[in-house]
Amino acid sequence: MNIIIKTKSLTKQYGHILAVDHIDLEVFEGEIFGLLGPNGAGKTTTIRMLTGQIKPTFGEAWIAGYDIIHESIKAKESIGVVPEVSNVYDEMSAWENLIFAAELYDVPRSERSKRAIELLKFFGLYERKEDKVANFSKGMKRRLTIATALIHKPKVIFLDEPTTGLDVQSSRMIRILLKQLNKTGVTIFLTTHYIEEADQLCHRIAIINKGKIIALGSPEELKTKAEEEHIIEISFSISKDVEEYEDIENQLKNLNYVNSISRIGDKFRLYVENTSEAIPIIIDFCRKNNLKIISINTLKPSLEDAFVKITGLSPEIMKIEKETKKRVSLG
Amino acid sequence: MAKTWIKSLIKAFYIAKKDAKVYYFKAPNFTYGLLMPFALFIAFSLSGQINPLLIIPGLISLVILFGTTSIEAVAVVLEKQTGTIERLLIAPISFFTIVLGKALAGLFFGLILSIIILIPSAIISGISIANPLLVLIAIIISSLTFSTLGVLVSAYAKWVPEAQMLSNFLRFPMAFICGVFLPIENMPIQLVIIARFLPLTYSVEALRISVGNSISIFTYLIDIVALILFSFIFLIIGSKILQKRLE
Repeated sequence: MNIIIKTKSLTKQYGHILAVDHIDLEVFEGEIFGLLGPNGAGKTTTIRMLTGQIKPTFGEAWIAGYDIIHESIKAKESIGVVPEVSNVYDEMSAWENLIFAAELYDVPRSERSKRAIELLKFFGLYERKEDKVANFSKGMKRRLTIATALIHKPKVIFLDEPTTGLDVQSSRMIRILLKQLNKTGVTIFLTTHYIEEADQLCHRIAIINKGKIIALGSPEELKTKAEEEHIIEISFSISKDVEEYEDIENQLKNLNYVNSISRIGDKFRLYVENTSEAIPIIIDFCRKNNLKIISINTLKPSLEDAFVKITGLSPEIMKIEKETKKRVSLG
Repeated sequence: MAKTWIKSLIKAFYIAKKDAKVYYFKAPNFTYGLLMPFALFIAFSLSGQINPLLIIPGLISLVILFGTTSIEAVAVVLEKQTGTIERLLIAPISFFTIVLGKALAGLFFGLILSIIILIPSAIISGISIANPLLVLIAIIISSLTFSTLGVLVSAYAKWVPEAQMLSNFLRFPMAFICGVFLPIENMPIQLVIIARFLPLTYSVEALRISVGNSISIFTYLIDIVALILFSFIFLIIGSKILQKRLE
């Protein structure tokens, strides 16, 4: 398989902070590659370096064989970019936005209209082509942003958090469209902090945390890593008091055979080395503390479990959305 | 090489065309771009005798200065604020092309505004324009110079009002010492020296020469060269600042 994106020790430093720390990646032509990690892990900085918006502090990267620093215009001609916040012009119509993108990317004059019509139809926006984008929903704006990124038929498309901030239906639609797009041969590089999204969409995933790639593989490969560990999910009949939950969580964490713990709603997930040894200890603990068990299950690890095991982070951290979206650094 | 330059210039025109669609009709352009120079002008005209050949070129220069710097404040700062500037940063174009596109949008805006002002004021005052071609050239070059100045100022600013305020630090002193209301020859030598370092002086002078057919063509040429030099300096510094701000 051909390598279409390659990075070598790619690094970005802001003052004393290493936002991206010597990452080495290889993305193959035709795959959907996901960069998964919590907010602040370095995903957007990586995408911004690869798409020529910011210069790396150290390291190199190539897209479609072009050096992103020394051949940036050539590299940019090969890619389409969809930033986290849809950045189409509100004051212009969907049609005008697409034509402007075509002009910037040197699409031959004779082909501009044809491509714009094709894309508007593919993204279900043809009927609204003359409407000002200001009147579009978030989902429609995102679809139009993706369409503008495809006007010049790029080999690779970069999407930064493609479904963040969208409703369930729009997110689903975007995922289906991305899969269809990938079938036409376009390589997709996306970042996400939704574990489920990475699992459903990506052929391969790189998990990034604190600027470093800490795991790389297909979702199934990553899940296999987590299978060395077993999961017991348990819920108790207790009050909804937060402190009580925290208290129980701390006590469960200290039991023998329990490696780590996470809380999902009113359930506790215990990651244990040996289920048959751990269950009696847990039951014993419940008895001693007068905890009434409502349910107890053993689970097959999900990608989320793999993520917890690999990163040591709580899955809750992935659910934290950015409070305020800063669209560009204004210095 | 020449082909690359032509390509860049065409793309800069596309950016300017887009800016015209998106930003020309925003309110600050009219309040700062048209009303402000008019208010200044009326206030000064009321105090003395009006010589149309003296004041019309001054008014045109002032309208170009206020109009172009206002459109840049909107077109550069709003583009940064809404994040649409990323659309330009990810495109296969150089930073210089982006800044040139912005400056061209300002140039056309200045050209439109000055023609809107020039024709009726010439008709009302009954003057005949001595050399329309030289007037047009002076208007185009002045519009380029002041819009590149606008890009430079707006590259610094985070918000539109901040850009307008920073522009005012330059616009108002220039309005008073660059010969808009009084020919600079009538001013103290210290002010004349300062005025010679400011682009508005050359714009007013070039327009006065071409509207009224006064002084020499040689001075006109010096004025145009000076304005082009100012434009280059502003363009280069402006694109460096903007690039740094966006990092």
